[in-house]
Amino acid sequence: MPGVGDEQDKLVTVDVHPGSPTYGKVIGTLSVGGRNEAHHSGLTDDRRYLWASGIDTSKIFIFDVHTDPAKPKLHATIDDFVAKSGGVVGPHTLYALPGRMLLTGLSNNQDHGGKTAMVEYTNDGKYVATHWMPVDGDLRGAEKAGQFADGYGYDVRALPRRNVLVSSSFTGWNNYMMNLGKLLADPEAMKRFGNTVVIWDLHTKKPKKVLDVPGAPLEIRCAWGARHDYCFTSTALTSKIWLIYADAEGDWQAKAVSDIGDPSKVPLPVDISISADDSLLWVDTWSDGKTRLFDVSDPHRPKQIYEKKIGEQVNMASQSWDGKRIYFTSSLLANWDKTEPAGGDLQFFKGYEFDGKELEEKFAIDFVKEKLGAPHQMRFGAKALYSRLPVRPRERLARAS
Amino acid sequence: MLDETGRAKRLHDVLGDAVVVLGFVYTSCPDINGCPLANHVLQRVQSRLLEDAGLGAQVRLVSLSFDPIHDRPEVMRSLGESFAKPGADWRLLTTVSDDALAPILEAYGQSIQREYDAGGRPLGTISHLLRVFLIDREKRIRNVYSSALLHADTVWSDVRTILAESAPSRPEPAQPREDPARLSFPAEPPLGLPEMHIPPGAEPTPERIALGRKLFFDRRLSRNATISCALCHVPAQGFTSNAMATSIGIEGRTVRRNAPSLYNAAYAERLFHDGRESSLEEQVWSPLLAADEMGNPSVQELLDRLGTLRDYDGLFEAAFEGSGPTRDHVGVALASFERTLVSGSSPFDRWRFGGEAKALSPAAQRGAALFEGKAGCVACHAIGEQTALFTDHALHDTGVGFRRAAAPTTADVEIEYAPGSRLRIDAAVVSAAREPPRPDFGLEEISGRPEDRWKYRTPSLRNVALTAPYMHDGSVRTLPEVVEYYDGGGAAHALLDARIRPLGLRTGEKEDLVAFLESLTGDDIEALVEMAEATPIGDTTSRSSP
Repeated sequence: MPGVGDEQDKLVTVDVHPGSPTYGKVIGTLSVGGRNEAHHSGLTDDRRYLWASGIDTSKIFIFDVHTDPAKPKLHATIDDFVAKSGGVVGPHTLYALPGRMLLTGLSNNQDHGGKTAMVEYTNDGKYVATHWMPVDGDLRGAEKAGQFADGYGYDVRALPRRNVLVSSSFTGWNNYMMNLGKLLADPEAMKRFGNTVVIWDLHTKKPKKVLDVPGAPLEIRCAWGARHDYCFTSTALTSKIWLIYADAEGDWQAKAVSDIGDPSKVPLPVDISISADDSLLWVDTWSDGKTRLFDVSDPHRPKQIYEKKIGEQVNMASQSWDGKRIYFTSSLLANWDKTEPAGGDLQFFKGYEFDGKELEEKFAIDFVKEKLGAPHQMRFGAKALYSRLPVRPRERLARAS
Repeated sequence: MLDETGRAKRLHDVLGDAVVVLGFVYTSCPDINGCPLANHVLQRVQSRLLEDAGLGAQVRLVSLSFDPIHDRPEVMRSLGESFAKPGADWRLLTTVSDDALAPILEAYGQSIQREYDAGGRPLGTISHLLRVFLIDREKRIRNVYSSALLHADTVWSDVRTILAESAPSRPEPAQPREDPARLSFPAEPPLGLPEMHIPPGAEPTPERIALGRKLFFDRRLSRNATISCALCHVPAQGFTSNAMATSIGIEGRTVRRNAPSLYNAAYAERLFHDGRESSLEEQVWSPLLAADEMGNPSVQELLDRLGTLRDYDGLFEAAFEGSGPTRDHVGVALASFERTLVSGSSPFDRWRFGGEAKALSPAAQRGAALFEGKAGCVACHAIGEQTALFTDHALHDTGVGFRRAAAPTTADVEIEYAPGSRLRIDAAVVSAAREPPRPDFGLEEISGRPEDRWKYRTPSLRNVALTAPYMHDGSVRTLPEVVEYYDGGGAAHALLDARIRPLGLRTGEKEDLVAFLESLTGDDIEALVEMAEATPIGDTTSRSSP
């Protein structure tokens, strides 16, 4: 973040082990050199490496988080993502598949618009393949179910038991790098947002069906339950929760199932987080800095049951597997983030406990005051997921720019 | 490694002559979704193999233990006796020691951790992630399966797919795309365009044009290797950007003005909307060095960087008599490329200068009469006897700058985010997100004379149908809206150019004017865009590591 600390993107480690003497404190920072519009990150399938990407420079930083989980090391940097992928710009989601990472693009090097692809790498950073999004004129065998096939990308999730990948669509470099006020006032630019969710064959990486989900569907969270063949996404511009589901015939459909706040105020839903039992969905809305909790036990009829203002802006939410702890960060994009009012509610990492009724703040870290930058995505370094033995949990947080 | 009989082997001894399904396992694994699953799936694959008699020799199953302490060869042999069927090739391997095992696990990215109790005593269990590998006859890993994705049907289908590959499936080396570029300068200008003035020493040669074109599409020419010239002057978008009103530079920095189209820029006597440069060779350095555009810190730093890019080796020397990158050479190369972006022979040209009476539709012909008559557009967008550039090369106050300065900054915004889907955005939301506006005074910023306030260059109208949005600030979205703006007499204020006045056009007349403007599109657009899109885009190819 210009004017803050060393102005570089960094990986920040926060101790979130209750009872630890450094609980709620920053215990490590690792600058990567320069600003890249650091955005999302993802652990490899063996959780030994954390991949984090910059959606401006398209650089990918691979951190060793297993040698000393409290002290990640920069293991490798991939500088040639655009050249290797055949022109994909803006690696966004870094999603673990067995032995490899699936990266969604946001843009391309030809016009910096939204047409893009998904790109596969091996865990050790070797390029494997590029899978272009289906687009009018080149549907790549997919069925166009509605009006749109825009070729845009954003997030991706898998439902392995259905052999399905689900991808969403945001906007190209031109728009996500543009000042938000300039963007909102530019009708040409505002026409260029994604309106689609694509269903893919997970195994072959071939697109199967392009669904209309107008208004920039962002994060995708799929249900965990063995018979829950559905995922949620939320649309940034139209402030709706959408359900992507397999119907009685097993055919994939998309349906708007709820409004989020007052759409005319553009609350701008960003991250969503589904509970382990598929009954609750946290929805963060960036503009009003609120988190909202929806009862999604009937996924076709979500009901809002709680809301709380977290800060001046809020982006990502990350909950523990038992749903008792939830963490929030503030930053969306460097040129979209608010710059006032100054203070601890602007760029933060906050930890809460949730008792089923109320969120109770346990700690807050002011990332500007700490000279760290603008915090974005969090990842738990939970080695315990792959071992039956207790490991002192550390949770860490990627990005400050 | 050790085989079932305890004989020493290398892993590569069992790879290469068959398609291999390799699973890492240990025999005391208690996790039903771990090694037992792998063994079960391999057994099912084995059954398929045995059903398909011809394939037995072409496919091998390999189970490799990662527990050399417990899984001695005899343990693996007895496992094999319970699993492997006669007629199938299933190898059950282990290693001499953890040390012998380590490099194999490292190479396959198979991490394991022995588990210990609180007293530090080994529990005999090993924490690991299940991975099964599909390896082709060229010893390349073609797929990796985890618990959630390990199904016999899938593995079998993948095995069959590899066996069906007639030739090695090594990826084809990228074929250089055919280059349809017009790399030599046209001897004759297209119909309707005059001879081009080229400064002495800047003669476009094929080598200079090719070099300029490479530079133009090279994202490494910006400070952080993200934007090329072509990303604001997008070939398929009229060599401007149809995607935004005013440009953005590195890190998304806001530029105040709309990217001018580069079609026929070679003929412009004044460059930039404020006319501050007059030579293409000089002009190119402004965006390269502007902090809010390509952001390079200095001329020298960029020249030094070009010197390190191996794909430029020899190109400057070939274009400039053995001399490497210099400020002037970058300017001449880019200007040489820009001078190929000439576009004429439009329907208007064929009608007016080529004697083709039917080249222009009746509506466009009526529009031409209005353009040169009642509407008075030609007063600034000049048309000559033999040629037409549709510009007087001068700067005028058309009211657009004033209108922007006077506009309220708090108004609701209506957007159409998808065809037919509209959304009204609250003014408060927009103004909260807006960065402080930067004033724009046009020529006054260059000349320092107050009477030059809000004067901007008259752009050519050639290819105008391709270059929306319009005006120096991109504030007008369509040609009908442009005509509407001028018909209304612009935005009245003291400095407004006297030629801007209410025109009293009827609806049909406005449509005719638009038809005329749409007739100014050159006949070589497709070729120019194709040439541009065939150009390899310069991106970072170096790799920090690994």
